[in-house]
Amino acid sequence: MTDRRPGRDPSTEHLSDHGLLALTARGDRDAFARLYDMYGGAAYALALRIVRDRELSADVVQDAFLTVWRQASTFDPARGQPSSWILTLTHHKAVDTVRREQRRRAEALDEARESVDPAPAVEQQAWQSVARDQVRSAMAKLPDPHREVLELAYFAGYSQSELAERLALPIGTVKSRTFAAMTALRELLAQSGLNPEHEWNTSTS
Amino acid sequence: MEHVDELISGYALHGLDAADERLVLEHVETCERCRVQLREMEAVAAALAFAAPQAEPPPELRERLLEAIGPEVVPSAPPPPRARWSWWPRVSAVAVPVLGLAVIALAVWNISLRGDIKDADVRSVAPIANVGSVVSFGGGQATVVGGLKPAPAGHTYEAWVIPKGETVPQAAGTFAGGNDTSFTLTRNASAGDMIVITLEPGSGGPAPKGPVVGKTSI
Repeated sequence: MTDRRPGRDPSTEHLSDHGLLALTARGDRDAFARLYDMYGGAAYALALRIVRDRELSADVVQDAFLTVWRQASTFDPARGQPSSWILTLTHHKAVDTVRREQRRRAEALDEARESVDPAPAVEQQAWQSVARDQVRSAMAKLPDPHREVLELAYFAGYSQSELAERLALPIGTVKSRTFAAMTALRELLAQSGLNPEHEWNTSTS
Repeated sequence: MEHVDELISGYALHGLDAADERLVLEHVETCERCRVQLREMEAVAAALAFAAPQAEPPPELRERLLEAIGPEVVPSAPPPPRARWSWWPRVSAVAVPVLGLAVIALAVWNISLRGDIKDADVRSVAPIANVGSVVSFGGGQATVVGGLKPAPAGHTYEAWVIPKGETVPQAAGTFAGGNDTSFTLTRNASAGDMIVITLEPGSGGPAPKGPVVGKTSI
């Protein structure tokens, strides 16, 4: 009987995310479960922040991970880290869900803080807790208009044209502001020593 | 050919309309520069996920997911379609586990060359989650081998020994990490002791403050 507790499968413990994904592509359930154990929490937190409903968020995460399972063999390592892929899939599905459900959107980051759960005590997420501090502090350093555009786009799921309407700005301005905000965030993350293109966990790479 | 930098940021945030989205996808098919840009922006967007307040998924979600992917015994997967821009998914699947063993073997070899320790003195090799392995030797020496991403700026890895039957971690030295980590603890450890690696702020200290990266008992 395989031990199913998170992070306890010795045969996958030393693998990098790319290794885990390659095994997942071959139908390895343990490798897949380990990917879930590492990134399921971050994916769920992201989905909950966007759709603000626990059941819908669980559906979003399940949907995203099923896509990982089915499409692992088409993942191209040249496109970046598996963790980025998983979180991108989650983000897309969560945003599609709010758009479909026409849910009231959470706007400022602080607004969602009321429903914070206790931090999950997961050992292997040590790196993620450092990443969390660094991303939050980078966000805090952004000029207000930059932060606003990222929060509305990423966490509230506003499309560029919805943003133009909401902020009463020409679409061209929204596009260039989004570009400036993302570029500034990338620089801030790089300064804090965090390269988002590296893996978030601490496995062998 | 006109590059699409601005649109790429919107694409990474999933905010483009269908026409702009198609423009980006068609462009990156043939433009290496914008493909790199897209990958970077997607990574930056994914990093934003960590700004969301932490939340724990319902425990049954894991079960549900593993049920949804089908039965335990999976018939051999169809051969993966060849990736368009890359040849290395195949390599990584094979090379990673092999590398793990090779790194350990090499570390044991290096250690045995350094001193008068012989292979026969290796008492145990305990896997340690996220790190690699702890190789312990007859004389009480313990060496952490494996691959750890270099510690982020302003942080260091620190090793701890919790002697069997005790609860207080004893500091056993700090190290920077990196792909070919081979760090010999500054304190002896014996069978039944727990070895813990944490990620500490600053240059570490006498008591752990940072999160646990991995632990194992030897």
